[in-house]
Parts: sequence; structure tokens; C-alpha cells
Amino acid sequence: MIPRLWKMYIKTNWIKFAIILVILLVVALAVWGLMSLESFYRNITLATMPINLIMVALNATIFVFMYMTFMRGGFAKMSKSKIKGNLVNVKWNDVIGMEEAKREAWEVVQLMKDRTRVKQIGGKILRGMLMLGPPGCGKTYMAKAIATEAAVPFLSMSGSEFVEIFVGVGASRVRGLFKKARELAYGYGGCIIFIDELDAIARKRVFSVFGGTEETNSTQNQLLAEMDGLQEKDENVVVIGATNAPEDNLDSALMRPGRFDRKLYIDRPNLEEREKLFGFYFDKVKCDKDALDIKRLARKAVYKSPAEIENIVKESALLAARDNKESITYKHVSDAIERIEMGMKHRRHMTVREKEMTAYHESGHLIVLYLLHPTEDVFKASIIGRKESLGVVHTHPREEMFTKSKESFLADIKVALAGYVAEKIRFGTTSSGVAMDFKMAMQRAQFMVWSLGMNDVGLIGDYALIHETQLSEKVKQALNDATADIFNKCLKDVEDLLLKERVLLDRFVKELLDKEELDYDEIDAIFKEYGKFGTTVT
Amino acid sequence: MRRKFDFFILLITGYWLLVTVLTGCGPTYPREKFEESVIKVCKKDYKIDVKVEAIGKTIAIYLPLSKLIDFNFAITKSAGEKINDVILSVSRVALSSDAEFDFYVIIAHDVAVPEIQIVIIKSVDDVKRFLLNDISRGEYSKRMLIDIRMSPQAQKERSIKEIFERMDLDESSREQILNDFFRAEPAALGDIGYWNDRFYIKEVSNLEFVAAQIAGRVKTNFRDDKNISGLFMLKAVKCQYMAKDSRDYFRLEITADPKSLGQAKGTDYHGKIFGEGIAASAVVIHNYHFNDFEYVEIVDVVDGKSIEVTRDDLEKFRRKRLKLEDILK
Repeated sequence: MIPRLWKMYIKTNWIKFAIILVILLVVALAVWGLMSLESFYRNITLATMPINLIMVALNATIFVFMYMTFMRGGFAKMSKSKIKGNLVNVKWNDVIGMEEAKREAWEVVQLMKDRTRVKQIGGKILRGMLMLGPPGCGKTYMAKAIATEAAVPFLSMSGSEFVEIFVGVGASRVRGLFKKARELAYGYGGCIIFIDELDAIARKRVFSVFGGTEETNSTQNQLLAEMDGLQEKDENVVVIGATNAPEDNLDSALMRPGRFDRKLYIDRPNLEEREKLFGFYFDKVKCDKDALDIKRLARKAVYKSPAEIENIVKESALLAARDNKESITYKHVSDAIERIEMGMKHRRHMTVREKEMTAYHESGHLIVLYLLHPTEDVFKASIIGRKESLGVVHTHPREEMFTKSKESFLADIKVALAGYVAEKIRFGTTSSGVAMDFKMAMQRAQFMVWSLGMNDVGLIGDYALIHETQLSEKVKQALNDATADIFNKCLKDVEDLLLKERVLLDRFVKELLDKEELDYDEIDAIFKEYGKFGTTVT
Repeated sequence: MRRKFDFFILLITGYWLLVTVLTGCGPTYPREKFEESVIKVCKKDYKIDVKVEAIGKTIAIYLPLSKLIDFNFAITKSAGEKINDVILSVSRVALSSDAEFDFYVIIAHDVAVPEIQIVIIKSVDDVKRFLLNDISRGEYSKRMLIDIRMSPQAQKERSIKEIFERMDLDESSREQILNDFFRAEPAALGDIGYWNDRFYIKEVSNLEFVAAQIAGRVKTNFRDDKNISGLFMLKAVKCQYMAKDSRDYFRLEITADPKSLGQAKGTDYHGKIFGEGIAASAVVIHNYHFNDFEYVEIVDVVDGKSIEVTRDDLEKFRRKRLKLEDILK
């Protein structure tokens, strides 16, 4: 292995060796030349040598800068970085919140390590692995862990680094990257190329009828050729691509076996994984983990990615520091979530009537959500302005739901309409604050009827896919009537409920006007005071 | 970026130190071999035979030449080239030596007419500054003291020998008497020379050199400046460093006759002579950073008038903060 390493080292660093040799030669020539000079001239030369060297270096720098800027499209080519696997230092156990993906990735690590065994059996080595999934779910982190575990060099580049206005630069960089990877694989027995944001160069290619082609096409063509093209030697180079673009957006040639053989979907963490993530990040800060109630926090952080959870912990630490506290408390975490989710509070000067109307509007949402919604919990109710809104009832799902029931849709509509109904009950009139609520309610109702077949008129199917002109007036009418029917029925149900719970409504309005904000615990206590209990997960 | 810069500076420093250590900083021509080195360099590089003798911080080089002066009493081209070669050789050796000479004197004479000599006196520091581009070529030339003259020793011996003839002195004792009473070491720069295989040299002092520089600079100005050369015929310039009443000063005597008969000898006339003297003194004294004097006395020998200019006034005049008219008042 050592001779191979030496050979690889010489092959990859021959320019450095050449430079060192030239420098030694220059030193020898300089010594020889200076020795032949009389001491006066030698001393002058030695005295002026540093400034002369600096001037030469300055000239060379200016020349290289001009050359790279004007002739080679900038210095981006230089940014390609090699990192040794053991220096990446992300341990396998540090990867949490993606157990399924970890199992898949472990296989890749084993395949890289046992390349000889795979070859003996006659199997072909793995060429590439594509990691898909929403942003912040740890794709890059996973790639680093693979590199650490496989203990091979890790070349990392972003897809955008290949994109340049100069034609051919992208393809040239792909060639350079793979050349370097093969050299490293020769020496170290393997190499991982990690291309982050792969979609920058892996989008579906565009073929022009005029014969022209886009620059990204040639970059991608080069990537295709490098991954499964004719190569002189078959080195153990594995390409790991990461993207948060949908798989459909990527070019099919890149997705075929022999290129990105494995597809790893890295999704948001589930409840258990979120608990682990909170535990992991809370270990890095000063806090009382028992007092924090990590289980509850994990439930609150539904659909949050690991990056978002990390951000919550980071934000909590900042809030604790601002409060001059020595450790993070549950309130800091709760405030941090609120700050991240809802944005900074923005107090606006409202009239008494406006404020009251907002309080009724939000109380209406709050009561209907608490009493009728099967999957959502109220997180906070507030009549303090944030962003564009004057008030908000913030919700969060009780648990990940991968499908949504008819009841849940209807509850969404009812919750949306509750603001309007509450305003009308109290004031006999309504405000423009209902605009977004109506829009949401109408979209839901239309989606249910037109696309999901959730109607009573027997029109089952996705009618939204059919062009409007191809639908008969009768069908359209029936669908629109069914949409209006859902809308009106929901409106009626909400009216009945809020009239029935008028006392509760007025109580929440009073509380909101007094306190401006109510947390889940306060809200829950008031409901329980009136003997009301929320719905359970269906 | 910062690390790269640090590395670059380290690389340059390392390279410089390595080269410096490997080449060393010792002198090429050590003191003990100085004379030998000058002779060797002249012989090896220019095939010129010279004789060298050192006295104190002054080194003297004797250069015998054929056809030193042509019919117009000017230095021939070949002789000029050889003198330049010797100047260059001596400069090289002087600059790359630890001998620390301050001045060198080159005495060239024609082997056919040994009584005619050219004496060149140079400051080693001037050569160094010229090579380091600290002074211009023109200024460098002005700082070189060149004198073409009859050998004073030859003149003296001729006169004495004539006396011996008249006295009918015994031949055998003539040489002994010459050595005992008449072949003395020179007392002034003008006595420096080479005669009968013997150096007549003295250690050039800084005071003498500066005084000679002032006189030489006045001569040059009277020759090259048409405003002056058109008005006056310079007969003699003499500058000496003297002391009177415990005060050190330069006495610059200028003997210049007006070219036009009946030219008015008013303030303007004196002003021009004194102006040349002040200008030359100010420049030379500034060039050599010489401060061991209190004033310069400039004497118009023809008219018998003189002025005293203090050191501060000289500097102010050089910096154009004091006008000539103000000094003359």
C-alpha cells in the first residue's frame, strides 16, 4: 500500500515537487552567482533581495489574478478541496434522526470497504448514491459520516461550482474532479466525491431544435461519462449526490443503475428521532434536560428538520443568555419556537374596536380548533401583530400525519370560518381580516370536491385535471354546488357551536384583551374550567 | 489568506537567510592583501601594471602610461581609458574590502615625459554612493579632483641639481644630500606625486578634501557657466581650512580678472564672484555633511575685498531662504 500511496502522492503533487526542485535550483544558482560576485555587489544584491522577491511575487500575483479573472473565469477552479476521511470526523453515532437512511448508507460504507470481496463474487462496485429529501435533514452530514466511516478521502463540491458563464468550464471541472478522485482512490483504495445541490447540474437536459445546447448539458454529459464511461482503470470512486429537488426534476440518464445506483430518501425525523435530536443538541448546551420535558418538545416540533431543531436549541440559548440565565429553561425553548415559527412581535396601535374585533376573531378560531379539530393542537393565541397579521392562533399537528381525512379537511374549513362567525356574532358585521381565512376555506372545500371526491353528488375523481372547457356546465354546476354546500354546512356548524359557547367566547376575548397572548397551558386550563376537552387523534 | 501571506513572507525570509548564510558576507579583498589585490585586478582584468602604496586611510596607485598627453595638452583617448580602468579596479577592490580606506589617489604619468603627471583624488564614499545611485553621474564627475601638473618633486630636483652643478658638488654625495634634505614627504595635496620610482604621498584628510572640492567646484563653475566665463578670466582659486582666534573656517581666495576693459567694479561685479564662491561652498559642504567650521571667508584677490559667510547663512542660501543680496549687505 505504501508504494501505491507514494506513487499517488507523486502523481497528484508533481507540480509541487517540480516547484520545490525549481526553488532548490534557483537557490543553488543564486548561491553560485552570488559567490562569484565581489562582496560589495553581493551585499547590495542580498540587501535588495527581499524587496526584489516581494516585487516579483506581487507582479506574479497581479498576472495570475488577471489571467484567472479574464482568461479562466475566475478562481472558482481553485476551490476544489480534498479532505481526508478521518479529518471530516463526523462519527456514525453522531448521525441521529435518520435511522432508516443510516441503515441504507451503512451498506454503502461496507461495499466501499469490501470492494475486493464484491469483485471476487463478480459484482460491480457501487458507482453512486443519491440522497434526496427536504432541506436541513442531514444529507451533507450523512455524507460526511460515510466518508469518516469508510476512511477514504472526501472531495466535496457544490453543484453550483460547476456552473460558469464560460462554455466548457463546467465539464472541465467535472473532468478535473474525477481525475483527482481517481488519483486519490489509487493511493487510498477509494474516494468519495460529494456533490451538494446536485440539481444545479443534474436537471433534465434541454435539447434545442437549432442544434445548440445549454452549458449545463455538457457539464451533465461529462458527469454521465465520468460515472459510467469508458475508463482506463476502474478505481473505487463513489459519487454521493445530494439534492432537495424532487426526483422527477433530475435527468433520467443520471438516475439509471450504474450511475446513482442507490437512492436514499432522507426525510424529516419522527417523534422518537426528534426526541433523540433534542437530547443530542441539549447535551451541547447548559440546561436541565429533565425540566425541559423533551418528549413534549418533540411533540411540539412536528415536521421540524434536524437543522430546525438545532436552530431552536441555538435560539433558546440566545434567549437564555439575553435573560442572564445560566441554563436554558422550557420557556426559552417555547419562546424560541414561537420566534422561529411566528416571527418577531410587531406591536401596532389599534383602536379599541379593532382590538376587540381581533380578539373575537382569534377566539373564534381558538374555540373551534380546540373543540373540533381532530389532528391539530393550539400552540398559542395572540392579538399582538406579527408580520402582516393583527393576531394569530398558532397550531401544530399532534403527530405526523401522512394522509389527511375528510374530517380533518372539514375541521380546517370550520376553524378558518370561525373568525368570521365570531366577529358577526359580537358586532353584527365583519372585517377584512377574514380574507385569508375565506381563501383557505374555499381552497380546501374546492379541493375536497373537485380533486378528492369528497362530495355527496357522486362525482368521484380529480375534475381539476380536466380543462374547464371540457367539463359540461352540468358537472361544473354540480361540483360548485357541492363546494358551496360544504362551505355553508361548515359555516352553520361553526355558528351553532360559537352561539352555544358564547360564554367561553367572551371569556377568551376578555383573557386575550387582558393578556394579549395565551399559551397552550392557559388555554387548556380555561377549557377545563368550563368542562370542555379537546378532540383526540382520529 | 492571512496564512498564505504569512507563509509567503516565511518563504522569502527563509530563502534570503539560506542564500545569505551559504554565500557569506565576508570581504572579497581582505585588508592584508589590499595592495596585492589592486595590482592583481588591474593586471588580470585590464592588463595594466600599477604600483600601490597605502598611507593611513589613503591608498595611492601609480600608473605609468605611454602617450599620456597629446599635442594640445589634453589626455589621449587610450590614456583616458586606462585611467578609467584603474579607477574602476581600485573602486571595486576598495568597496569589497574591509580595509576601510576613505580616499584613493591615482597618479598617472607619461613614461616619456615623467615630469607631467595627472593626479586624481576620489572619496571612496562618493564611489559607493554613485554605484548605489545616490548621486548622479554628473555630480560624481564633479566630485573627482583631477589635476594635470608638472611633478613638484621633478621641479624641485631640477632646481636643486642646477644648484649642485653650480656648486660643482661631488656626484657621489648628491643623492645622499637630496635624500637627507630635499626629498621630504608632501605637506599639501598639491605636492602629491610620483618621481624616480618613489611615491610622494600624504594621507588625505577630510578637511583638505572638502577645501579642494570647493576650489575645484569654483573652477568648474567659472569654466562651464557662460554667465561667469563670459565676464571673467579665472586665474587662480585656492581654498584652505584654517583657524583664527580659535575659530575654524575656510578661506577661499578667487583671483579673476574682468574680461572687458573698464568694466565697472560695483556691487554686481563682486556679487558675481562672491556668489560663485558662496554657491560652491554651500553645495560642497552640504554634500559632505561637513560641520566643523564656523564660516567661509571669500576673498576677491584682484580687488582685495572679502566677505564672511556663516555656516547657517550658507545652508539658508542653499535652501534659497536667503538671497545673495542679503548676504552681501
